[in-house]
Order: sequence, then structure tokens, then C-alpha cells
Amino acid sequence: MNRIEAIIRSIDRLPPLPAIIHQALQRINDPGSSAQDVVEIIQYDQGITAQVLQVCNSAYFNLRRQVHSLKEALVLLGFNTLMQILLHNSFKGVLSHSCRGYDLDTGALWKHSVSCALLTEILTRRLQRQPDSRLFTAALLHDMGKVVLSAYVQETFAAIKGLVREQGYSFVAAEREVLGIDHAELGGLIAEKWAFPRAIIAAVRYHHTPWLSGEDCSDLVGLVHLANCMALLTGIGGGSDGLYYTGDPDLMENFRLREKDVEKCLTQLNDRLAAMEAWLEMG
Amino acid sequence: MRIIIGVADMKVSSQAEAELITYSLGSCLGVVVYDPLVRVGGLLHFMLPESQIDPEKARRNPWMFADTGIPFLFKEAYKYGADKGRMIVKVAGGSQIMDDQGFFNIGKRNYAAMRKIFWRNNVLIQAEDVGGMINRTVRLELSSGRVWLKTSGEGEREL
Repeated sequence: MNRIEAIIRSIDRLPPLPAIIHQALQRINDPGSSAQDVVEIIQYDQGITAQVLQVCNSAYFNLRRQVHSLKEALVLLGFNTLMQILLHNSFKGVLSHSCRGYDLDTGALWKHSVSCALLTEILTRRLQRQPDSRLFTAALLHDMGKVVLSAYVQETFAAIKGLVREQGYSFVAAEREVLGIDHAELGGLIAEKWAFPRAIIAAVRYHHTPWLSGEDCSDLVGLVHLANCMALLTGIGGGSDGLYYTGDPDLMENFRLREKDVEKCLTQLNDRLAAMEAWLEMG
Repeated sequence: MRIIIGVADMKVSSQAEAELITYSLGSCLGVVVYDPLVRVGGLLHFMLPESQIDPEKARRNPWMFADTGIPFLFKEAYKYGADKGRMIVKVAGGSQIMDDQGFFNIGKRNYAAMRKIFWRNNVLIQAEDVGGMINRTVRLELSSGRVWLKTSGEGEREL
């Protein structure tokens, strides 16, 4: 078995996607679905039901009365917040592992992923668009491929670093050159295996190369790319791949964004990170 | 004792056993000041060049911006007895992503804004490690004033 095959095979060691994520994502993005439809999916999961109620009744949301029913909680919190609770529950563990190949300590990749996801929300608001759970999901999972590729990057780090530092390769291009596959493409394969919607798969796969997304090109691909560029600039959860990635100026122009918009978005990240920690890290 | 400085944050200390450390400098800049006589040191981790982008945020968190954070750092160090003439200044950070058109060159703008403030106030930088595309961690030992720089994926060296 050659190395690319071995890398792709190692996807199988990842846990399967929790069915609840899949079902919730389908219902939430179906315009015809109601809060009751979503309640029916999650009411059998006691852990998540308890957490949704706990978040809803937390000081952060400052309601005047206790909420006891799941349906009421969903109406108050909204589907997007529910999706964030589900994603947090399902992926914090796997995205918090240390990734030695990228020199990421325990928790670093999770911090970067959450920063990227929150920046898509901040960007969406700045562009005056509707929030989209698929966008948050894709942004949170965009670096999933690093979890698997880390061991292989560690083995070949000297060669990858040589291409990056001496020959001007981006880190993904160097991964592809040395290993035959990069963390973004691998992430795309993981998203495919988990049967995510096509737009999420594309946003993960092309998060460093949106210009290659072809017929899969969507706002999701572009916004995850731009949010990730901003997340890289903050350095939060940054690793040995550093900032060796290319930002796509055409996308900035397509979304009519300027450098000041990047700064404006970044000023909001700290508060959003603190708020998210306040209501998700409880319990 | 390790005192951690977050993103858009600052600490000044005169505790000899303390060290000030900031992780994850990407395009942000870390500014270290140290007065060797009174052994007072400070570390600022600012994110963006100019507070005019969000004056309200700058009021709540002056350490987010070069133009509000840097004067704050110096004034705070003076409160602890540091003297401008004796102060040693070292800086690190200001990285950027690969970007031909400069949409994301906050690192460069951060550095330029900082230099302008230092120039106007006759402050010299004694050592710096800026630019490029790497993540940096900076650490100041208050007992000795030594500043250590770690580049992600590599070892630590003195700045």
C-alpha cells in the first residue's frame, strides 16, 4: 500500500458522524421544517436535551423565567444556536487532540476552528446576509484533515518546510508535493464520508484554493476561505504551518470587502469568543 | 510564576520571580519593555494599527490597537517606577499571509503604526523579529530582562 492509500485509509479510524448532526442539518436547512420537526430528532438524546435547556436558562440569555420544554428552548435559541451546541458536543473532542505534525498543543486546533466559525458569522452579519448553519459547520470542520494528516506531516516535516521556506510553496502545496495529498483535500474526503451536503464538502476541500472550486463554487467556499485567512492572521491556535497560505483577492472583490472590513471583523472576534465560551463551556 | 497575556491584552509587573508570556502572535505585534534598574517589565499584545476603526472598542480595550495600547503600556510601566531613558524595547510578530494585493497585510500596517509612534516619541527598538509568515511566542523574564522568542515548529532563542 503506498502512502496516499495509507493516508486515505486512516480516515476510517475517525469516529462516524453522529446521526443527530446529519438529521439536524437536514431539517434545519429545509425551509419547510418546523421547531417540532427538530424536537423530534433531538428529544431522544438526553445529554443534548439537557444541554440545550441549560444553555437556554443560563445567565447569558438572561430570560426571566425557567424554560423546561425543548420546543420552547429551540424557539428562543434559534436553529443556528442549536446547531452550534450539537457541533460543540460532537466535535470538540476530536478537534482538541494535539497535532504534533503541526506543532499544535491540546486544544489549539479547536480554538482555531471556533475562531474561523465565529468569523464566518461576523462576516455574514457584515455582509448583511442570513446566517447559515452549513457555513458555521463547514468553518468549524475545515481543518479536520489536519487531525489525520498530522502524523504524516510530522514524518516529512523537513521536506515540507524546505519547500515552504526555500521555494515559496504554500503549506498546502508543499503537503501535496511531499505526501501526494493535502489536509484540505483530505478534509473534503472526510466530509464526503460523513455524507455532508455538497456545499460543505466543497467549502472544506477548497478552503485554501477557492479558485479551484469550479462548479462547486458557492458563497460557502468563499466565506470559509476569507474567515480562515482572518483566523490565521490572529494567530489563535496557530501552528508550524504558520501563515504560509494564500489569500484570494478576487473573493474580497466579489464580496465588495476592503482591508478595513477585515480589521472591523477582527475587532469583534474576542468578544464573540468570550461569549461562546461563557455559554458553551458550562457544565 | 507565569503571567499570560492574551490577544489584545497587556500586563506590567515588578515581581522578580514572574515571567510575562504571550502565545500566538500572527499578524499581531508583541511589544516588550523593561527597565533593568528597577526591574519593571511589561508586555503588550496588540492586534490592529489604529483605534479609529472602532473607538468604542478602544475605550473598553485600549490594548487592541497600536495607537492606544503602546502609550498605555509605557504609562503603566512608569507607574511602577520605570524610566523612559532606561527602558529597553523589543518587538516581535507582524506576520502576514501570501497576498499580492495587500488585503490582509495587517502585520505590515501594525509594524508601520508602531514605528510611527516610536519615532514621534524618540523610542528606539533594541531588538526585533518581525514579518514573514510564522507564528511567534514571546517571553520576558523579569529577574534578568531577557526576552525569549519561540517560532512555532522550532526551538526558543534569545531576542
